[in-house]
Amino acid sequence: MSNQTRMPETGAPQMPSKADHPAGKCLMSRRKFLLSSGIATSTVMVSMNTGAAAAKIPATISTYPRKKIGKLSALKTDKPVSFEYPDEGAYAQSMLVKLGTEAGGGIGQQKDVVAFNYFCTHQGGDLSGTYKADTKSLGACPLHLSTYDLTRHGILISGQAYQSLPQVLLELQGDDIYAVGVFGLIFGRYDNLQG
Amino acid sequence: MSTPYYIPETDVPLPPKGADVITTACDYCIVACGYKVYRWPVAGGRNGGPKAGDNAFKADFPVDPLGPWVAPNQHNIVLHDGKPHHVVIIPDKDTKFVNTDGDSSLRGGCIAQKCYNPQTPTRDRLKSPMMRIYGILQPVPWDFALDVAAEVGNYVRSAHGANAFGVKTFSYQYIENTYAITKYALRHVNTANFTFHDTPSDVSSTPGFRDAGFDNFGPAYEDWMNAETLLVCGTDPYETKTILWTQWIMKGIQNGQKCIMMNPRRTAGVAYAEKNGGLWLDINLGTDLLVVNAIARIIAENGWQDAEWIKDWVNNKWGSSSGFGQGTRNTPWQWRTTWGKFQTKGYEDWKKWLLSQDEFKPENAAKIAGIDVQKIRTAAEWMAKPNNGKRPKTSIMIEKGFYWSNNTGNTQAISALAIIVGAGGRPGQVVGRAGGHQRGGQRGGKYPRNKSPMKVPGRRRRALDTDTWTMSGHTRFAHVIGTTWIQSMCGSQQLAKRFEELTVANPHQVRSYDKQDIIDTLKKRADSGGMVVVNQDIYLVDPIGNRYADIIFPAATWGEDTFMRANGERRLRLYNKFYDAPGEAKPDWWIIAELAKRMGFDGFDWKNSNDVAEESARFSRGSRKDFNMIKVAAHREGKTLHQKLGEFGTNGIQGPVYMEDDGTLVGTKRLHDTTRKLPETGPAAGNVFNKKLTHFNSQTGRCNLQKSPWSLFSDYWEWMTPKGNELWCTSGRTNERWQSGFDDRRRPYVVQRWPDNYVEMHPDDAAARGIENGDMLMVYSDRVPSLKETTLGVEGSDYSFSGQMKAGNVELTRAAVTGVAMVTRHIKKGIIFMDFLHTSQPANSLEGRIVDWISGNYNYKMGVAKVKKIGESPYKNTFRSMSFAPRDII
Repeated sequence: MSNQTRMPETGAPQMPSKADHPAGKCLMSRRKFLLSSGIATSTVMVSMNTGAAAAKIPATISTYPRKKIGKLSALKTDKPVSFEYPDEGAYAQSMLVKLGTEAGGGIGQQKDVVAFNYFCTHQGGDLSGTYKADTKSLGACPLHLSTYDLTRHGILISGQAYQSLPQVLLELQGDDIYAVGVFGLIFGRYDNLQG
Repeated sequence: MSTPYYIPETDVPLPPKGADVITTACDYCIVACGYKVYRWPVAGGRNGGPKAGDNAFKADFPVDPLGPWVAPNQHNIVLHDGKPHHVVIIPDKDTKFVNTDGDSSLRGGCIAQKCYNPQTPTRDRLKSPMMRIYGILQPVPWDFALDVAAEVGNYVRSAHGANAFGVKTFSYQYIENTYAITKYALRHVNTANFTFHDTPSDVSSTPGFRDAGFDNFGPAYEDWMNAETLLVCGTDPYETKTILWTQWIMKGIQNGQKCIMMNPRRTAGVAYAEKNGGLWLDINLGTDLLVVNAIARIIAENGWQDAEWIKDWVNNKWGSSSGFGQGTRNTPWQWRTTWGKFQTKGYEDWKKWLLSQDEFKPENAAKIAGIDVQKIRTAAEWMAKPNNGKRPKTSIMIEKGFYWSNNTGNTQAISALAIIVGAGGRPGQVVGRAGGHQRGGQRGGKYPRNKSPMKVPGRRRRALDTDTWTMSGHTRFAHVIGTTWIQSMCGSQQLAKRFEELTVANPHQVRSYDKQDIIDTLKKRADSGGMVVVNQDIYLVDPIGNRYADIIFPAATWGEDTFMRANGERRLRLYNKFYDAPGEAKPDWWIIAELAKRMGFDGFDWKNSNDVAEESARFSRGSRKDFNMIKVAAHREGKTLHQKLGEFGTNGIQGPVYMEDDGTLVGTKRLHDTTRKLPETGPAAGNVFNKKLTHFNSQTGRCNLQKSPWSLFSDYWEWMTPKGNELWCTSGRTNERWQSGFDDRRRPYVVQRWPDNYVEMHPDDAAARGIENGDMLMVYSDRVPSLKETTLGVEGSDYSFSGQMKAGNVELTRAAVTGVAMVTRHIKKGIIFMDFLHTSQPANSLEGRIVDWISGNYNYKMGVAKVKKIGESPYKNTFRSMSFAPRDII
């Protein structure tokens, strides 16, 4: 059909090599910007240009690192703490929380300690600060209102996300909590470990 | 009841620079967001890279929020020209309309998963015609299936009459297909035994709008945003047409719009509106009319009506009566007014009636509706009270929770309220439907109303009720196209029983290898009072296809041929073909053409879908999606209609389309636009200026202000009202699932989210029955009312629920549906809510098979049921599937 835009193939794009991959740098300003944007969201979002995403190239990782992210005894019920995983690149911000109720993938005696990536798997809205103790949920996303159930592997409660919130897999060693993997693709990336 | 757990991917291939980019729009809800398909060959392994220069998005990864991210559910592998290709399908980040910001719902966002891929749960797409031989649906060649269907169909027409030949079809699945189907069914078979997927007879969904003169889809999406006060009745647009909410209404609320939501459920959109200064009218089922008229009464009593608008745009006595004599004497408008229950002589006459009805006093209405009376007063003030001499710009949106509760009454009442607040014909001051499915209907023939044996009081004919007709055994050949007939209609389980009797329980079953023998057997089936069923669809639907059909035609669908369709603001787009249909599946227009030719009908020699579209163009003239001038422009430029529409990409163009003298095409932002100036010279050349461009759809072009008596419905409402431990039982869509779940049941992630039908109930109702989240429930009733025969009556008063009860024409039947308990704060006490169309747990079974006496529609949203726990679902104590968290978290 003539109405389909078909661009000619121009040579063979190279398969990406790991050395080339920018995982980006943590963009705290963007995160705060998103969270506080509220009413003006629709207009500020389009003007946000973060060339910084590709500015710094972190070390490439080919398997999930085992990273200590906190101590079980330090966690208070319904008080999320932040950490970064699987790297310090864009969209690595995550949350560790003791829900006080058993949850899928939960660790600890009550199986109630879980961790999730903080970015909405719809269009990248920042969910930090949206934890709700009464429903054990994250959201509503400030962009389009998606909500996630943290007791059920981050499944979408209501909204638009294309998948569950990526769950950070945890292991407990003594009192130390380690992040050891991520279940689901992190927003913004095409590969969790390569950015 | 095991659940196929969704195992998420942690990487996704990116489209390389140079990938094919093809525009389309979403296949699902009314909004029809714009999408782009990125397609590249699997062979060669040339995937894109994360640098802007190495991928088709020209974007660095990780991308920014709102950027062209690809979730793994947005990727698939399909055959294109017989070769495997990757496709990535994401919302168009460059579109200027509809899903501005490149937004999408979960439904459309994961539309790549719709594409046929034998490695995914889509592997059971219908790929070959089939015929039930020795009780088993077996693949047969197209010629074989078509020959048998054509000969048996023609025999039924000649031996039993055209009305024995039933056609039940989708109304929306692309202009080319609906044109072909209606040309075949209405123009050629010419049967009155015809209707669309969502109604037992071919009638208007919103009789009150029709009488008032409102088009269902007049408004532009920007009007919903620009209203200062917006009343939304019977829907949460966030749940059911998500992007209309997030890109339009939500932005209006952020700009200070006062949003009033009338709905017994407090889902996310309602909660968002409330949190941002809006209002929730948490009414009991079926009490909408009372609340709407109570609001109107406060406005009238305080003189807050838009007097200037009423003076210019409301019919007086003479205007109201001028509908007499239009066309045939069978127009629904005429017999409704003849009945004397609705017609007024204008505003003062209407006001006199309104004030004389005690049930519309705010206190009385609030009591029956179960809401705080102050909410009614607040709504009236927001909608109409002038502030420093300035009226608020008010708009009104309705949808099925409203118009399928008290079809005629509610739509009459809301039309009157719209008129007196000045909504209907100005920017930001509009009235319309929100919409369900997209608008792809284009008639290729006229409904033969005079062949219908069903009547309303007097001698006026009503469109044939295909359910009642089939229950009575009059349908001998049923051609069912792309609809879940049975579960989609009220009293589903009684319908299923009758289908069983008429088809597989009939002694004449195909047990032969010989074509003529097969044909003779099916003819004998029809002659014996049984029914032959042909089912045309993309999947085998249970039970209509799986259990009852004799012949199956496999259809091609979205992305498998090039089609046209309009959305809820009449925006026409081209939906391009981008991959090969599975097996021998063919587009519906092709199937219809091949069948029609075999039946001896002429005019079906189309070579491709553009041929059909071009033929249909002239029949669209004067309609809300008039696209005829696109064809005229295309031919001027040596293009096809499809090519020309395709040039508009995902932006499309809003119908009706007008052509300037220089050949430029101009769309229509809104209908009934009293502020629009058309060229004084009138329509030149092929252009049509329909009245609806600048006036209303009535005889005079002004609105009819009509009465909406509660008494026409109150006997049914009172009879239905829960008795003993019954609860009101209603149903609707949920954000994450589309229609019958025909695609969603094949998406592991959505299956994990919603594995079974659910039963939302208030914590108090649950506690009283010992029910907890995750319990498996039996939802049942032993008083589902069903009409035995078509409405029986002579006098006007016979046409009521009480009248039919008195005549012995109402049978009380039983129904039972299972579901998973979801105990939640977001539903009003006394009401349960289920998904409206789970094929294996059909909520419509519990809704009365009683049509609205005036319109002929079902009131699908009005049922009652008892609920009891029968055990625990597997989701109660495991964590992979479902969520019992409320839908009102903001």
